[in-house]
Amino acid sequence: MASAPPRTRELEGDGRGSGVPVVEVTRTYQFSAAHRLHNPRFSPDENARLYGRCNNPSGHGHTYRLEVTIRGPVSPDTGRVEDAQHLDVLVHDRIVTRFDRASLDDLIAPTDGPTSTTEVVAGLVWRLLDGAMPAGRLHRLRLEETPNNFFELERDSVGR
Amino acid sequence: MILLTKRVEFCAAHRYVNPRWTAEENQRVFGKCGNEHGHNYLLEVTVQGEPSPDTGMVMDLKALKDLIAEAVVDRFDHKHLNRDVPYFKEKVPTPENLAVVIWELLEPRLEHCRLHRVRLYEDGSFFVDYYGQRASQD
Repeated sequence: MASAPPRTRELEGDGRGSGVPVVEVTRTYQFSAAHRLHNPRFSPDENARLYGRCNNPSGHGHTYRLEVTIRGPVSPDTGRVEDAQHLDVLVHDRIVTRFDRASLDDLIAPTDGPTSTTEVVAGLVWRLLDGAMPAGRLHRLRLEETPNNFFELERDSVGR
Repeated sequence: MILLTKRVEFCAAHRYVNPRWTAEENQRVFGKCGNEHGHNYLLEVTVQGEPSPDTGMVMDLKALKDLIAEAVVDRFDHKHLNRDVPYFKEKVPTPENLAVVIWELLEPRLEHCRLHRVRLYEDGSFFVDYYGQRASQD
């Protein structure tokens, strides 16, 4: 077997190599929520300087767009990584029903971060979904606060 | 290293059916996806390489467009994937399997750059990515 090709070559080869293909599947969801950026550890002036309009005491809101990417082998029986409906139910139960028409400030725990920035909210979404899936299944999250501002978390690249 | 992406569209009909299962099993697993329906697929083909010192290009986009048309679009566009594409006689024509077969069709045809990713949108809120990776089945 000395002439066997190295494993990486086998994995990357012409796509007809041994084993089942590993595919990433992305589905998109949205929720509308209010929030206010405010860190109680800072003075009102510091909060106003740091967060600007996002520190408005009345709060504001966004229609958040969430992309959830799972990664895994394609089942030879179903041709799917996972039943799409199963993923939809999970994301609706864990995220959409909690976050839609809600105040994000009420949802984040102190351990999530100092205030409801989309970075912190994305980390919370990751925690809620990753804990409800088989190990390693959740691969990437993209959370769009607006079409112009979005945040991505990817397994490995963020040490998760 | 530069990544270059060409985007194309094709429209096709399909239904989800595993020929090794009974009608009841297919209905239970695939539900209404077992009915005949169709999609406007959006395909993004990403290749990787270094720009040529002569042309400044990783790959001529027109050549990539022609290659995708010949290898993929002409095979799938305005076709019924289950009936018209032999690959899907045995495999369920999901976006996952479609992305894998598109990879298999394109990868051997690329000469001066490597295929990096096949991204296939079934609609604006659902897409799959394939990087040519495989896992052992055990």
